Amino acid sequence: MTGNAFTRRGFLGLSASAAAAFGLAACTGTGGASTQNSAPATKDMRMFTYEGDETIGLLKTQVKNWDATADMTTTVDSLPGSGAAQYPDKLRTELLGGKGPDLWRIWGGQIGSPFATAKQAADLAPYYEKFGWGDRINENAVAGMTFDGVKSGVPFLVAAVGAWTNQELFAKAKIDNPPTSYAELEEANDRLLAAGITPLGTGGKYGWHIMRLFEYLLESTAGPELHDKLLVGAESWDRPEVVEAFTRFKKWQDKKWIPEGALGLDPSDIEPAFVQGKTAYTIAGTWVEAAFIVPSKKPASDFSTFLLPTDQSVVRHSGFVEGYMINANSGNKDKAAELIDFIVKPETQKALQNTSSTVTGAEPEKSKLPLSAEWAEINKTSPFYTIQDQAFPKKQADQYFTVQSDILQGKITPAESAKQMQEIISAWVQK
Amino acid sequence: MTALTTALARTEPVAWRKPKRHGGLSAWLFAVPALAVYVVFLVYPALTSLWFSFTDWDGLSPTYNVVGLDNYAAVVQDPVVATAAKNNLVWTVVTLTVPVVMGLALAILLNGKVRGKPILRLIFYTPAVLPLVSIASIWGWLYNPQYGAINEFLRLIGLDALAQPWLGQDSTALAAVMVPAIWLRTGFPMLLYLAALQGIPKELYEAATVDGATRWQQFLFVTMPSLKPAHYIVIALSLIDSFKVFDLIYAMTYGGPGTTTQVMGTWMYANVFQYYNAGYGTAIAVVITVVAIVVSIPYVLSQTREHSR
Repeated sequence: MTGNAFTRRGFLGLSASAAAAFGLAACTGTGGASTQNSAPATKDMRMFTYEGDETIGLLKTQVKNWDATADMTTTVDSLPGSGAAQYPDKLRTELLGGKGPDLWRIWGGQIGSPFATAKQAADLAPYYEKFGWGDRINENAVAGMTFDGVKSGVPFLVAAVGAWTNQELFAKAKIDNPPTSYAELEEANDRLLAAGITPLGTGGKYGWHIMRLFEYLLESTAGPELHDKLLVGAESWDRPEVVEAFTRFKKWQDKKWIPEGALGLDPSDIEPAFVQGKTAYTIAGTWVEAAFIVPSKKPASDFSTFLLPTDQSVVRHSGFVEGYMINANSGNKDKAAELIDFIVKPETQKALQNTSSTVTGAEPEKSKLPLSAEWAEINKTSPFYTIQDQAFPKKQADQYFTVQSDILQGKITPAESAKQMQEIISAWVQK
Repeated sequence: MTALTTALARTEPVAWRKPKRHGGLSAWLFAVPALAVYVVFLVYPALTSLWFSFTDWDGLSPTYNVVGLDNYAAVVQDPVVATAAKNNLVWTVVTLTVPVVMGLALAILLNGKVRGKPILRLIFYTPAVLPLVSIASIWGWLYNPQYGAINEFLRLIGLDALAQPWLGQDSTALAAVMVPAIWLRTGFPMLLYLAALQGIPKELYEAATVDGATRWQQFLFVTMPSLKPAHYIVIALSLIDSFKVFDLIYAMTYGGPGTTTQVMGTWMYANVFQYYNAGYGTAIAVVITVVAIVVSIPYVLSQTREHSR
């Protein structure tokens, strides 16, 4: 063996080890278990959000207005499109990298919870007191961003999820009024299909969009009390009401009431497709009006919205909370709180076209956003249940989405689906 | 004295030559900057990750507990890991062999007398330079079950029965993601093979022709042996590319439907970054790394033998 051979072998070995080590190093975060110290205060702040192209401009304008009065420069970064599937990962990576944003937008419930329990998000109790947010912001929404008794977020949006319809397509199918019972909804689906129209627009990629259909079906078969208990694992999922909900879920696909191959469709394509008239209705929140209907230049009268009928004495709808958290390690916590206070002022909320604001006095104007204004009225009488991807931790939510996927593909029966759900939820609750 | 000086003069170089065989201290000194980068950015993070694989760290909290080999035991029992490992194997075999064979075939074709060679090369190589996320979006639209070009085409030619929800069902999802992978990875081996083909002396083919070799025999006994160095590099790079599959799966199916298209990389990512289960996720990463090392050993050995000749 020559010296040269030794060197080359060493080099090749080292290269192979380097490639492997690079894989390992790149795969995982490091230094995440470091101590948490606040950075020094600066004149620069960074806000991280997931606003889409439709609304990011409005937010940037408002932040710029605040910057001018606060002598600050705030950068607004956005990661739109994937919903809760990817944004929290990016946020987490930034926080672990030590360059996390000073404040960020996040969903409540189990999506925002890990940031609070890991103490990456600051305890905002002092700011609640200073700015009087508790008096100005919807109490239920504040509860959605309170984790283990700690107010870790300031909710500015409490979204109500219901049916949004294309009036022209409903008229084409000779449906004059929105369905008032589940049976009428099924009948409407049949009529739409007979008229050559795909009834419900939904997409199964990521799981959370098609979940809106199943959670509605579960609300209608289980009723409010049992549904709430199921969501926290206080009752077994292995029961007839859940089996019936899964049976109906499968029926929606078998009867072609949802698009062909819905499981593979991207949710970000669903609402634009609905506004374009490719599906008769979709299950969504008031953002549809501000983000899709208004920019499409179509008149609001081309669309309608209604509370999905559950056949229960109290007709509830799915809902979720979104708000802002402040980085516990930020040196600009006070300034970030000031910015949030500016954002949750009614006039700012109106300027942001937040159609589901948690703030009193920021209700949508009927002349500008008539459909969203309808929901402001519906919200007064219809309570909401926690949307399921906020009710479960991400891992359990993904396991639940796998059950959805399996039943729609006919790999498991409704009874087996209910059993599997019970296994998933009981394992989570026991942990 | 003169004899002694001469003797010393003769022996001194011998005494100095031995340490110089390995470069001596000065070689290490020159290597220090690179080694420092290597240690700081690769070795240290890798060892830290290895350490986290023995903990229950959630990936966010400042504290964690040491759990020994529990994460590795969980990896063995995890049904999704079994699915992911199988998918990795299938992915590696398919996206290694098909693009390499197609790349070789295209290279041979373009090495002959073909009109518009530069344009054809550009067409075949262009997918390789497109961003993967763009490719995922493009193919996602092509695969759309209702309005996608693939199903529309099938319906147009009367093959309605073959129109499928390609990404929305277990039976076709993985294969559907492999198609764009093959599409984008054929250009690279084609370019390498093309360069290697142009380096084969024409005299070899002339001699083979004189000896009465058929075209197939010329390919087998002249072309293929001459392409041996190119084979090594193409197969090694394709293997590495196949093994680290992540982006296309993540962007096109997100590991779904359900967990059908999960691969080790995406499942590791899900655990570390989404499920706040960093300890378990890093254990998966360690397993991936060990497998990568084992797989790369034959290549390293073959290259070592090749260079020591």
